[in-house]
Amino acid sequence: MIKMTPAVLLIGAPLVFWAATVIVVIIPIATMDVGPSKIWRPWTPEERAGHKLYVENGCSYCHSRYIRVNDWGLGAERIAEPGDYSQEVPAILGTERTGPDLSQEGGEHTDGWHTAHFTNPRYTRPLSLMPAWAFLGRRNIERLTAYVQAQGGTMADERVARQQLWNIQAAAAHRRGGEDGSIEWLHANIPAVWRPMPNPYPATPPALGRGQKIYQDFCLGCHGPMGDGTGPAAQYLDPPPLNFTTLRRHLVEGRYIGGIFYYQIMNGVTGTAMPYFKRELASEKIWDVSNYVALRFLGYTDADTEPFGIDAAYEPVWANPYKPPVVPGKPGPEETPGKERQWE
Amino acid sequence: MRKLAAFFTRPNGSALAFMIAGAIWFVFGTSFGLISAIDLVAPDTFQNFAPATFGRIRPGHVNTVIYGFGFMTLTGCGLYYVPATLRTRLWSEPLGWISFVLLTGVVAAGPVCFASGVSQGREYTEYPWVLDIILLAAVFITIVNLVMTILKRCEKELFVSVWYFTGAFMWFFFLYAIGNVIWSPPAGALPGIVDSPILWYYGHNLVGLLLTPLAVGAAYFVIPRVVNAPIYSYALSIVGFWTLVILYTHIGGHHILQAPIPNWLKTISMIHSVGMTLPVFAVLVNVWMTARGRIGRLVADPAGRLVFAGTVWYLITCVQGPLQSLPVIQRVTHFNNWTIGHSHIAVLGFAGFIALGTLWHVLPLACGRRLWSGKLVNVQFALVLFGLTGFFVVLTIAGLIQGESWNNGFTIYRIIPEIIPYMVIRLASGLFIYAGAWLGLYILFRTLFNGEPLGASPEALVMASGATLAGPDGAGGGGERRSDP
Ligand code: HEC
Ligand code: HEC
Ligand code: HEM
Ligand code: HEM
Repeated sequence: MIKMTPAVLLIGAPLVFWAATVIVVIIPIATMDVGPSKIWRPWTPEERAGHKLYVENGCSYCHSRYIRVNDWGLGAERIAEPGDYSQEVPAILGTERTGPDLSQEGGEHTDGWHTAHFTNPRYTRPLSLMPAWAFLGRRNIERLTAYVQAQGGTMADERVARQQLWNIQAAAAHRRGGEDGSIEWLHANIPAVWRPMPNPYPATPPALGRGQKIYQDFCLGCHGPMGDGTGPAAQYLDPPPLNFTTLRRHLVEGRYIGGIFYYQIMNGVTGTAMPYFKRELASEKIWDVSNYVALRFLGYTDADTEPFGIDAAYEPVWANPYKPPVVPGKPGPEETPGKERQWE
Repeated sequence: MRKLAAFFTRPNGSALAFMIAGAIWFVFGTSFGLISAIDLVAPDTFQNFAPATFGRIRPGHVNTVIYGFGFMTLTGCGLYYVPATLRTRLWSEPLGWISFVLLTGVVAAGPVCFASGVSQGREYTEYPWVLDIILLAAVFITIVNLVMTILKRCEKELFVSVWYFTGAFMWFFFLYAIGNVIWSPPAGALPGIVDSPILWYYGHNLVGLLLTPLAVGAAYFVIPRVVNAPIYSYALSIVGFWTLVILYTHIGGHHILQAPIPNWLKTISMIHSVGMTLPVFAVLVNVWMTARGRIGRLVADPAGRLVFAGTVWYLITCVQGPLQSLPVIQRVTHFNNWTIGHSHIAVLGFAGFIALGTLWHVLPLACGRRLWSGKLVNVQFALVLFGLTGFFVVLTIAGLIQGESWNNGFTIYRIIPEIIPYMVIRLASGLFIYAGAWLGLYILFRTLFNGEPLGASPEALVMASGATLAGPDGAGGGGERRSDP
């Protein structure tokens, strides 16, 4: 039996400690430098300043910076590699996800979205728990924005370039033609098959209730409580969030809007602050919020009108009572004699 | 001048100072914790007031409860029980005071730095470089003081608490220097991914090789004294001590098990994490067997009750810990509130409960006054226990909801509303812990100023408490014989 003498304690205990330290600290230091990965690129001074703010303001307590193998369900396009963090000081990976992973954040949103979001995250994300960073000042918010736009290295650069490319067009369309100009540009860029398409699901009160909840939790900060695009985020965004009420003048063939809504909400409008919601909202939820937006702000929905297929099994019996709006100066919708439903 | 000199050389003066500071930091630390918890319920509560934003107040909370409350309270207790069990006095009271002043300065300056946006950002190593150096100086001074105390001792055998206390400081000195990469100011980090294994080597050993040995050492001191029996087994003491440092030092990798670090590091961390059951059970069996047949007496004593509960939390923590080191379980539990639950039962449940219990046990001995109110200590016990149990339950549930939902493809934003109710209950539970912290401060000051004097001089008390522990064949040994009262 070892007896604990002062010599054993004062010399032995540190020795054992050092033996383990050689294994888990010294060997990694000696062997773990793998060099930059394929997507790595050096940071600009602006991005480095953003990293400093990220470190000093404790962003890492809520955000991780690596995508794991089991994040596949979140639609991750790339699992983190050791070389992604080459030369970073300090490469804080994070141990908690109160907020989402940021390792591929670059290009997910426009700079304007980030400015609004950093100023107060509730502006773009009404339920967010992230602190408002307005107190950092505009200059620092620019730095943080530059930093998050660089997350993802060259993969991020490609996405950021795409945002910038389309932003020039979207902003120009708005400058040229105001709200109507924006809508014309938006609709011109939607695949033709999506345009003359009604919302296939009925706008029943429960469905509208779901839509309202989604609108409040996801859309309110930009499109505003009246749907006129004057939410608190609007002041930071170019082009500004769409004024839905204007859409009354732009229904496809005087009657359709469901397909456009679905496509835009699912896919987002790259180049504008309009985010994609395909990861947050399941298909039916997107149709529900489309019905809500249409009815609440346009006073009309094309829900469950021609052309339609066989109703889904769960759908209640529902007939669309809404008439397309009559827009002065535009031909009204052609009277398409509605096909009588089999069961009606 | 002479009065001043007398003050700084009074026996147990620095030990008392550490204990008082610990109780004060408990109040400050939990205040910061409450603010963090409010931020996670209603982030705009403080109207964009920079120091109260989550990212700036959270490190204040974590560092203050760990270095201020846990570390300083347990150090204060140790500065009393180490000389006491060696039947001597602390080698140098003034050195004790110097390390006290330095450490208090660091713990006080830390949250001010974080609140104003000065931080190294790596979790648990946020203190800026200058504070790192001051902290290291304080630890180094204490090591010198301890070594000299051991060399000048009057008791031949080293009691097991002395091993743990001295070991903790010797390990912590190197650990802190390496973990904080102090040779590379101001960032205090190595470039690239290799920084992560080093950070978590530090992060885990901060709790494993600092708080754990301090708390275990304290439990080894209090439990035999309260039940009035020698330690059950010297062999178990030895096994527990050496396996702790052999195994614990390797397991930092389990914090970054899903990160892109080499597989061999992950494997080592998993194997040693599971192996950690060995030192844990060696200690628990040893202290519980010491109290066998007298658990009733242990929990009837207000201080003993806290320490005993601390050992139970240790069991829960260290059953949970090895499990959550396994990749299959971490698929669900990593990145979410499950870990926050683990942190609180570990740092507050295990280290904090034992710190409080030892404080109430040692304080009367060190200041020569009877504990002001055992009943109030029991109230504190109830408050903290209730609050912490609430924490553990709701944070574990919230963590499971988050982890399972994410694995099913739900985004973080979708799950925020699901966990808000749990964040609210966590905040409410926190209020109980907070009340317990204030109550502790009250008991402490009433004891210091209004406690009934114990009669004997502090020095006589030192000798007396050392004597109780020294078994027939030396401190900590002789498990076979139990002297019934
Ligand atoms: C209290 C925890 C918390 C802190 C601290 C925090 N965030 Fe967040 N963050 C969140 C949450 C929750 C979300 C998700 C909701 C949202 O988008 O606001 C988020 C979202 C984000 C997003 C948007 C991700 C996306 O594409 O949807 C970015 C970018 C971001 N945070 C950056 C930062 C930066 C930079 C900091 C530090 C200055 C920071 N966060 C600090 C919690 C936090
Ligand atoms: C961060 C601000 C923001 C948020 C949040 C947001 N939007 Fe948008 N939305 C925009 C902007 C900006 C545009 C495009 C304006 C332009 O190009 O002129 C837009 C466009 C749209 C369009 C395109 C309409 C068309 O006719 O092409 C739809 C539909 C839409 N938003 C619906 C929603 C819904 C539903 C939500 C919530 C689930 C939502 N938006 C959330 C900013 C936002
Ligand atoms: C048998 C012993 C233990 C094992 C195997 C163990 C294991 C773990 C693991 C695997 C994690 C990471 C969880 C994750 O991020 O998914 C963790 C976190 C943590 N543990 Fe333990 N644990 C043990 C004991 C302790 C003790 C005794 C303490 C405190 C005194 C403690 C304090 C902590 C803290 C504070 C964290 C959170 C770290 C962070 O900030 O992410 N643990 N533990
Ligand atoms: C008033 C009571 C308390 C409240 C309200 C509280 C609240 C919090 C909050 C909100 C966090 C951040 C969690 C997150 O990032 O999601 C936290 C972290 C932490 N708290 Fe507390 N806390 C309290 C008391 C304590 C005490 C007394 C201790 C220790 C003695 C403690 C130790 C810790 C630790 C170690 C962490 C870091 C956890 C990690 O990173 O895994 N807390 N606490």
